[in-house]
Parts: sequence; structure tokens; C-alpha cells
Amino acid sequence: MTDQQPIIETVDLTKRYDEFTALDSLSITVHSGQILGFIGPNGAGKTTTIRILVGLLKPTSGTARIAGADCLTESRKIKRLVGYMPDDFGKYSNMRVGEYLDFFGAAYGIGRRKRIVRIDEVLEIAGATYMKDLFVDALSRGMQQRVAIARTLMHDPQVMILDEPANGLDPQARIDMRTMLLRLADMGKTLIVTSHILPELARVCDIVAMITKGRLRAFGTLDEIMRDIQQRRTFEIQLVDHDQVDRVVALVESWSREMNHESEVTGATTETMVRFTTGLNDREITPLLTHLVGSGEPIAQFREVPTDLEDAFLSVASGSHGGDAPQAEPVTQEATS
Amino acid sequence: MSSAFNPVVQREFFGIVRSPKAFATLLALTITFSIAVLMRWPTDATVDLSGVQSIQVFRVFGYGLLAGVVFLVPAFPATSIVNEKNAGTLALLLNSPLSPLSIYFGKLAGVLLFALLVLLASLPGAAACYAMGGIDLKSGLGLFYFVLLLLVFQYATLGMLISSYVQSTDAGVRLTYSVIFALFFLTLIPDAFFPGGSGVMGTVAQWVRYLSPVPVVMQIMGQGGLGSKGLISSPGNMQFILFTLISSLVFAAVTISRLNYRIFDQSRAQGVITDDRGLVARLLRRFLFIVDPQRRKPGIPWYLNPVMVKEFRCRRFGRSQWLFRLVALCAVVSMVLTFAAATSVTSWGTETIGGLMVILQVILIVVMTPSLTSGLISGERDGGGWELLRLTPLSSLKIVRGKLLSVLWTLLLVLMATLPGYLVMIYIQPQMWYQVNLVLVCLAWTVVYTVAVSAAVGSLFRTTAVATTVTYVVVMSLFVIPLLVWLGRGAPFGFEMVQRVLLINPVGAALSVIETPGFEQYNLLPAAWYVAGGFSALMFLVFGLKVWRLTRPV
Repeated sequence: MTDQQPIIETVDLTKRYDEFTALDSLSITVHSGQILGFIGPNGAGKTTTIRILVGLLKPTSGTARIAGADCLTESRKIKRLVGYMPDDFGKYSNMRVGEYLDFFGAAYGIGRRKRIVRIDEVLEIAGATYMKDLFVDALSRGMQQRVAIARTLMHDPQVMILDEPANGLDPQARIDMRTMLLRLADMGKTLIVTSHILPELARVCDIVAMITKGRLRAFGTLDEIMRDIQQRRTFEIQLVDHDQVDRVVALVESWSREMNHESEVTGATTETMVRFTTGLNDREITPLLTHLVGSGEPIAQFREVPTDLEDAFLSVASGSHGGDAPQAEPVTQEATS
Repeated sequence: MSSAFNPVVQREFFGIVRSPKAFATLLALTITFSIAVLMRWPTDATVDLSGVQSIQVFRVFGYGLLAGVVFLVPAFPATSIVNEKNAGTLALLLNSPLSPLSIYFGKLAGVLLFALLVLLASLPGAAACYAMGGIDLKSGLGLFYFVLLLLVFQYATLGMLISSYVQSTDAGVRLTYSVIFALFFLTLIPDAFFPGGSGVMGTVAQWVRYLSPVPVVMQIMGQGGLGSKGLISSPGNMQFILFTLISSLVFAAVTISRLNYRIFDQSRAQGVITDDRGLVARLLRRFLFIVDPQRRKPGIPWYLNPVMVKEFRCRRFGRSQWLFRLVALCAVVSMVLTFAAATSVTSWGTETIGGLMVILQVILIVVMTPSLTSGLISGERDGGGWELLRLTPLSSLKIVRGKLLSVLWTLLLVLMATLPGYLVMIYIQPQMWYQVNLVLVCLAWTVVYTVAVSAAVGSLFRTTAVATTVTYVVVMSLFVIPLLVWLGRGAPFGFEMVQRVLLINPVGAALSVIETPGFEQYNLLPAAWYVAGGFSALMFLVFGLKVWRLTRPV
């Protein structure tokens, strides 16, 4: 397999439950060694997609392939290619971590000698060597996540799919998890990671897929998505007095009307601030500052709000929910890192 | 609802009653009781002045209702506290202005009200029995319902006590049913060895016997029978009432004392491993455990089914060291029983002792099997392990095989442990070897049959607690109903009817082969084996299909 060939590919993947469409024509491609951040609100269709990819769910239509193997018809191949870490740990009582990993290794058909060595290897990668003799049902959430990673690695899969790996972790554990994900990517693994903690994803993902109500809303590298989102920029005008807020809101609105530009203007009296979102570029926005200063209003600060993954997601999500923000077109594209 | 009304009662009671399962149970009970009475309702114009017919009907109805109470009532209190603890709602309750006393009585009242509904559902049947004449309202029907109410109270308090100690709902169900089964049946055994109450042991044995409701109920029904042979005629009602009341109050007091924040105060297991301990500790543990569960295990060898090994390792009870202890206990008990017969400690012959051994083994099988088998699939689904198993390349056939083998091995080992007793029996009466062989085949079929039913029934439910409860009820019904019908042999049930019903499970055949008194006239072989084989195959098929379906993408 060359780097040009996608390792994960879904084409028009759709899953319906009677009238309800959980997943609507999802088409994405991921290349070997990439980390895909899969973002969406609860019930967006992330887990449905993942469960189809690992062969636990049957799509209503469309296809999903991993390393050339069809996720539905070649489930045995898929099981060896993919390591899936569900949100639920799946603990067994009265079992020690070593025994737990030994069982999954045996279930994957790894020979005894190789398995014993492999258990130590995966525990080392997951930073969980000291947990080997502990009981799995006595582990904390953070420890469970590490053991789950170790379990997912046992059969050395090409692709790892991690559902909410940072869920319920404390800040230090989250940092450790991030380091571990990058380490896995360095080992040549292709990763799909879902998370609600978007700054975490932003730091590790090569590409991002945003999904709401079963539809793909944005897909590409983080830069591509940001560029897309930044076509609508948000500015903040920090004022000096509270009573200025209404006057400045009126000034910005009248200026926008005069310039024939659409802007959303909101005033926050308690913060002594006016925010506005616009599609204007730097050159076009400069006259506004001149206009405000010229009108005699004291301005403390005039700044652009930096956009991050969270803003991007909110922008896409609110657009899809019928909000005022522009709705991103569903994208079908091949992402390149 | 008035604010003075305990909100826990409301939640508990309506929580139980609103469930479709509880409604179905009540409906099924009402229909069963009505049918039981209707079946024996006089169809001709002859007046039965002696009241024999109504007593016959009352017996069937009474034992059925007793079985209903034993099977149904414990399921709810057994999960009552542990369920709340695991769901996190117990902490909320304890944090509310409700006192532990009102939380406890709220929960208890919820269970008792449901049990009262069950008893109310039986009233039309009881009224019909009474209307037929021959049954005294006070010493017959009244006393019977009083005994049932006491039992309900005892089982509810016992279930809640156990529920306050265990860590999972299925453990609560398992332990509660096992203790109740022991109280119900095992308490009858010591008296069999010291009949008549002479001496200290005899008196103790007699008191122990009245821990069980069976003698009292049998007295109310005006009959002696299984488990009461050789007993003195003293009524013992007061002993039973006293014990039930005192034990219930003790259970309640202990449970209330546990309803505080200490119930959550448990440190996580440290995972100390024997290999890392000192030499003395290692040697001591080796001596005590033979197979130490805390030692570091080598990897699963290629020739063993990993699912089977996993099942063994996941159990607290059922791991090697427990099996060895159980096997030793079984061997000793069966030897003692046979020795008793040989040395004429009792007036019973080897046939009766053989029958008692069979019954003891069946009790062991019936108590252990649902506990080991019902959660094979639901336990995995409950804990999230099923999803992980589905992700492995293990075929559904391998999963089924591993899971079933883990139970079958355990039960076969237990069964083998009683062989010394049978060997002594053959030594005393060499002509019995053929009968003993047939009995062992019957018992092996009993194991297979019970495992098949438990696995199939348990796999139909998603949660372990429900699976365990329903499996216990089904398995116990399959074994108790034929015994109830057998108790009514001659009247109200005819020979043919009893013979047919005894074919439901292979135990009747084992008892008839060894010529246990009351069973010797039935000819149940080889039909009982065919029935057990066919039914087991059907149940294994159901289990296999369920596993296969659960491993498919949906």
C-alpha cells in the first residue's frame, strides 16, 4: 500500500432506523499514519460511523473499506486490521490487568510466548506497566483508559479507533493521553479519535471531520477548515463606559448598512464590549475604526478574536442547526496532510 | 400523593408494579391458581361431605402458592439496595433529609406491598377451596396465609440485608436464592439423622428443621411426606414463627445499621500477588488453597478455549480453590450419608439414603447452575465485555463452547465428588451397581439439562440481575413442579399424570431407579433420557442462535 492510497474510505455511507437517519451519505478518506479527529455533538452519528467501520453495524447503503477490506463482508480481516476502543471500558471482575490482556491476546490468536512479551510491550506503550497485577475492576477512569489502549494494541492493528479517549480524564491524564496518541501516530498507526474536548483534538489531529445530524459538515486539515471558517471573522471593540455600548452598536450597524456589508452586531453592557461578525477583509475593516474614532467614541481596544477548533465547530454546528451563521456545505474531499 | 407519604415507598412499589414483567407475573399467577382450582372443581352433583376433595385441591394450591412466594419474592429485595448503590441514587437518598429508617422501611414496604398483591391474586383460588368445604378458616386457610406473610417478611428482610453487602445485582440475586434454598431444604436434613429429638443433637436438629416453612405447611395441609419422615408429631409452629420473626427483625436491624456513608467506604483492591510475598506466606497459601487464585498466571495455552479460561478467572466462586473445597465437602457428605445407612444410624435403607443423596446433588445443581450460567451472555452485555468479544476473531461457536464448557466442567467435577458415596453403597450392596450407573447417567443428564435451560433462558435478557432471577424461577419450577405433582400422587393426580410430569426432568428417573420410597412404581427410563436429551438440544440451539445473532452486525 502506498501513501497515496487511502487506508480508510467510506462512500455514501448511510444508516437508517425506520424514519430516522443516523448517518447520511458520509464520504471520507483517511491516509495511512494520519490522525482523524471526529467531531460532533451527542447523537451526531459519530459512534454509528465507528461501529460500521469496525463491523458491528450494517450500513443501510454505501460502503466502508479499511486497507481494501470491506467492513461488512470481510469482518474477519477487519477485526485483525482494526483496534477499537469503545467509550465503555468493558471490564471483567476478578481479573488482573495481565490476565485481561492475556485473554484478549489469546482471543486474537497470538501464541503464548509472543503474547507474554507483547503484554509487557503494550503496557509500556500505554504507560501502564505498574498496573499489570492490579484488578481491572479496581482501576480509576484514567487507568482504565490506559489499559484499554494497551488492549487495543495487543494484536498490533494498523488502524486504531478511539471513542472519547479523553473522556473523564483529569488534566494531567489528558496531556498523557495526547502524548500517547502522538506516539501511536509515530509508530505508523492510523487513528480515528472522537472527543468532546476539542482543544485536545486540535493539538493532535492532522485532519478533522465535523458531523451533525448524521451529515458531514466539514472535512479537511485543520488549516483548511479554519480558512473556511475565517471567511466570517469576529471582532471585539473594548469600550471605556457602559453607556457607550448601545451607541457603538448603532454606529457599527449604520456603517455596515452604508458599506452594504452584512454584519451581526451584539453589545455586552456588562463587559463594556461590542462584538461583530463580518466577511470583510483587513483593508475593508480599517475604515470602521476610523469611523468610530471620528465619531468621538473612546475605544480601548479593537481586536480580532482568534478562531480555534471550538469556534469552527460551533460555527458549523450552529449553521447546521439553522442558526444565523453561514452553513458550511457538506464536503466530500480527500484530505491530505 | 400526601407529603407525609414516604416517597421511597411510592418509588419502590410503583417501580415494581409498573414493570410489564410484574404485571405478567401477577396475571400468570391468577390464571394458574384459577386453573388449579378449576381442574379439581366437582363436576357432578355428589356432595363430598368428608372434605377430602377440597383438601386435595388445597394442597395443590397451597404448595403452588408457597413455591410462588419462594421464587418470586426474593428477586426484588435482593437487588433493592445494591441497585441503588451502583446507580448512585443511594448516595442521593442518604444525602436527602430522609432518615436511614424511612429509606429502609420505604423500600421494605414497596416489596411487601407487591408480595401482598401476589397473595391477593391467590385469594379467589383460596376462597374456592374454602367454598368446597372441609378446610378450617382459622387453623387451615388463616394459618397458611399467616405463615406466607411471615415468609414474605423474612425473605424481604433477608434479601435486603444481602443486597446491602454485595457489590452487584446478580450476586445479590444469587446469594439470596442460595440462602433461601438452604433455609427451605437443607434445614430438613439434620433431623433425618437424629429423628425423634432424643439427646442434644436430636433437639438441635429438630429446631433446625423448624427454620424451614415446609414442616409447618405440611402440617397445615394435614400430611407428612418428603423430608418429614421419622419426625415427631410436635407441631413446632411456634418455633417457626419465633425464628422467622426474630431473624427478620435481626436482618432489618443490621441492614438499617448499614444504611449510612460507610456502605460506600471501600478501598480498591491493592492487587497483592502471592509471588511477591514472603516465603512463609507463599507456603501457607499453597497449603490452604492448593491452587492459589492470587498467584501470577502463565498465559492461556493454545489447547484451551480462551473464553473458558476467562470465565473461570472472572468468577469469585467457581475458581479452582473453591471447586476443590466443594468437591471435598461433597465427598465427605456423600460418604457420611452412605456410612449412616451402612451402620444403621437411621432406620432408612440404602434406597432412601440413595434418594437423599440424589436430592442433595440435585439441590446443589439447581442452586449452582443458574448462578454460573444465567449471566454468561447478559453479564458480558452488562459490563460492556460483549462488544469487545465481538471485535475479536473468535467465532460464535467458539464463544458458546468456551462459555458452556466453563460451567459443565465445574458441575461435572461436583458430580464426580459424590462418587465415593455411591462406591460405598455398591460395596454394601453389590447388586446396586447397575442402579447406581443408571442414577449417575440421570444425574449427568440433569447437569446438561439444567445448564442448557439456564444458558438459553439467561441469554434472552440484557441485564444480569433479570437473567439470574428469571433463570432461577424457571429452573426451580422445572424441578419443583414435578415434585409438587408427585406429592399429590393418588389424589388429586393419577398415576399416569404423575408419571408424565416426572418426565419433565431426569431427577424422577434417578429416584425411581434407586427405588426411593414413593418413586419405585414409576417406569421413567429411557423416556426421561430422551426428553432430557431432546429438550437440552433445543435449549442449546436457542442459546447458540442467540449468541450467533448477537455476534452479527445489525
